[in-house]
Amino acid sequence: MESALEFESISKEYRGLFSRRRLHALQDFTLRVETGEIFGFLGPNGAGKTTAIHLAMGFMRSSGGCGRMLGAPFGDTRVRRRVGFLAENVALYHRRAERLVRFYGALDGMTGSHLVRRAGEALEAVGLKHEARRNVGKFSRGMLQRVGLAQALVNDPELLILDEPTSALDPLARVAVRELLVKARNSGKTIFLSSHLLSEVELVCDRVGVLHRGRLVRLGRTEDLLQAGARTEIAARGVAEDAFAGARARNGFVVFSVVSGDQRAALERVWSLGGEIVSVNPVRRTLEQIFLEVTEPPATEGDPSL
Amino acid sequence: MKPVALIAFNFVREQRWPILVLLIWVLLLAFLGLAEPNSHDDLLLIFKIVGAYVVVFSIFFGGSAIYNERRSRRILAVLAKAVSRQQYLSGLVLGVTLASVIYCFALGLTGSWTLSGVGFRISQVWFLMLCLVSACTLAGTVALTFSTFLNPFFAAGATALVLILPPLMGRIVSTRWVNVIPVYTLASAVLGSSFEVPASQLWLPLGLAVLETVFFWLIAARIFAWVDIAVSVE
Repeated sequence: MESALEFESISKEYRGLFSRRRLHALQDFTLRVETGEIFGFLGPNGAGKTTAIHLAMGFMRSSGGCGRMLGAPFGDTRVRRRVGFLAENVALYHRRAERLVRFYGALDGMTGSHLVRRAGEALEAVGLKHEARRNVGKFSRGMLQRVGLAQALVNDPELLILDEPTSALDPLARVAVRELLVKARNSGKTIFLSSHLLSEVELVCDRVGVLHRGRLVRLGRTEDLLQAGARTEIAARGVAEDAFAGARARNGFVVFSVVSGDQRAALERVWSLGGEIVSVNPVRRTLEQIFLEVTEPPATEGDPSL
Repeated sequence: MKPVALIAFNFVREQRWPILVLLIWVLLLAFLGLAEPNSHDDLLLIFKIVGAYVVVFSIFFGGSAIYNERRSRRILAVLAKAVSRQQYLSGLVLGVTLASVIYCFALGLTGSWTLSGVGFRISQVWFLMLCLVSACTLAGTVALTFSTFLNPFFAAGATALVLILPPLMGRIVSTRWVNVIPVYTLASAVLGSSFEVPASQLWLPLGLAVLETVFFWLIAARIFAWVDIAVSVE
């Protein structure tokens, strides 16, 4: 099956008009987003996430490499009819929400009753049905973000590219958007989601990629990434604290953790030492831990900050 | 064609306040027509001044359109749709033209009413409005071309230079230069009109203005195709 979005060795550098200084926003960036998945695109500020999205949308040209969106080269006008895009810090014209969504739908070639119906459905999907006749200029940031999402959904896109779609939303609205994304994925749509809200990404994304300093440093299925290096926490009694590396006393028990693969050996050791197992709990890693592992510089010896 | 029209109407809508402010000058002409119906020369002078304003405004409209859209980042949501950059620019050119048509229509109506009463031919008024619209469209498109890679201030300066150069060369080298970019010729048809000597029929500059509008629009589209629109303009 054809990938929904492909970046092939893409690089992008920014140069000042009169300066020689170059900023490498993306370096040899290769990524394939498969059709029908929700892909979480993570990275710290300035990692190059938005640059990658803007390249895909044709807002800028790459310095090297190439890419395809729904089978067409980046920047192809016709293919954008099948794409929905929500920019970070959404900026829209000040007019009634329903008219605004219709305006963007009409730019995608939609007309007549189909356009009116789809605009209504898109506003309803983002919970703004009752605000449809209000001017967007009077909306809060969260509501504005929801209108932005509605304009991205109005053309019933095959591929949704969302740059921080829930950053300004309250918890209720976030849940609604999350459900909306899962529903869209279940109906066969592809979603490319750039977000800093790692807990959200963990909940909805099938795969994630972590970008750091313009390079893809981690890529995989969310489940696999969270499983890899997972540990098991064991609580026991009747054993000495120093019998296990890293063990500590807690509430009268000795608590220690081992890599999940070593769990059986650790349990047998407790028993062989005459101890008793109180609890065995798998400790799942969070996306946040993975994110910090790959984006934080490793601590070095003699580091004055330590 | 539909996206072009949508962008054009949207442009006019976004510029509604400057357009309304401009229309106040037309009201001034109408007021003078009511208050002093027989002051021939004053009426014609106001008519000319009010006519000249729209050329200047269309340079500002054209020169700031892309910049404003990029600065507000509204351009991203528009160009994320099935709209090519060429269509986007066409929309802006049409928008500048529509803004000047609205203004010139109002001025033409008021001019027909006030000036015809004091001996100015109505057909002459509308011919001058046609000259004005053509001059505005060309001036706005030149400004738009420069604004694809310059900020509004420099774009307006570069446009003024380009528009002033032909009449300057016309004075220094040969009068044939005047019509190279005929904004000056068309605008001076309005500014030089009088009761005694009606403006000559300027079909050649009018035709040239249309051709050059297309020419500058093509250049603007070619340049704009290479611009990183997501990069901050600040």
